[in-house]
Amino acid sequence: MTMDRRSVLGLGGAIAAGVALAPGLRLIAAPETSPGSVAASTPGKRWAMLIDTSRCSSDCSACVSACRTENNVPLFGDPERDIHWIRKVELRDQSQRKAPVSLPVLCNHCEQPPCVHVCPTEASFIRHDGLVLIDKHRCIGCRYCIIACPYKARSLVFYKTKPPKDTNPNVPIRAAGVVEKCTFCAHRLDEGKLPACVEACAKADKGAMLFGDLNDPKSEISQRLLKEKSQTIRPDLGLKPHVHYQGI
Amino acid sequence: MISPAFWSGRWSRASVLFLFLFAAWIVAPSSLWAAPPQPEKAVRGPCVRDAEWMRRNHMDFLKHKREETVREGVAVKSESFLACSGCHPSRERFCDRCHAYVAVAPNCFECHQYPK
Repeated sequence: MTMDRRSVLGLGGAIAAGVALAPGLRLIAAPETSPGSVAASTPGKRWAMLIDTSRCSSDCSACVSACRTENNVPLFGDPERDIHWIRKVELRDQSQRKAPVSLPVLCNHCEQPPCVHVCPTEASFIRHDGLVLIDKHRCIGCRYCIIACPYKARSLVFYKTKPPKDTNPNVPIRAAGVVEKCTFCAHRLDEGKLPACVEACAKADKGAMLFGDLNDPKSEISQRLLKEKSQTIRPDLGLKPHVHYQGI
Repeated sequence: MISPAFWSGRWSRASVLFLFLFAAWIVAPSSLWAAPPQPEKAVRGPCVRDAEWMRRNHMDFLKHKREETVREGVAVKSESFLACSGCHPSRERFCDRCHAYVAVAPNCFECHQYPK
């Protein structure tokens, strides 16, 4: 085979470019296997919650206080600027034919989360197990997500806070000027535990909150969602939220 | 005797200033210059990576770990801040000494806790 001058030069150039680029091409290296325990999220899971409002009473706020202790969420004492990862809401029937219903509202970890779509820095993201999380290292505090979220699940940290006395070291405290919200206790899920609110609800003998993997058809939550009647808040928005309610 | 014309010259004034600064540098006590930082020795070992490598690359290492932990959900417990404190019990005597010397202010500890 004979090669003309042009193709020889072209081939030489391609090889030179390959040699120059190849060392830099390892942009995504295989993760090193490290010793020690690893708390890892499981891809392919789809965490969801089912809240039975008939078992939730208005005088109980075990989930709220458990969340505050677990995630070191402070109370500023300024109702307009307090951080709420989970809050109790009372639904009243306008015709007053039904008794008021008390229920906790938290981040719904939507499948189509508007907060993620509006985030200009990609600080809000969907983790591969379906959790909607905030990378606070990237958050610039623009608050677009707070406006976008129809569930009022997000709060901006207005004030610098000191760590509370009994701080949970596994959860970072917060810098002022970033947005935060419920994480479904991602750090606990990765260790195979349940979210703190769910555990507290069971401990308070209510058992109103059920947590599990929707992708596992045998899990209790999948079974119950299949058999029993439930609904989400604002299903009309088409966000496919993953906190389901019964009895509202 | 230096003529008055000398003092008005631009270069001569500069040389006088230079001589003055040079003299000050010679005379000044060495305590004016910050001594090289002496971060506290680890109470335990070995480090998760080679110590010499860590000295140069811990910042990139931590940043890489941070992406892995937050976004991919893989938290290696032995390579977290909490684990650092197992061998380097004092942040003030370990992290802060060098950071102060090289005048960097990483804001890790605005949020992350470094148990004592």
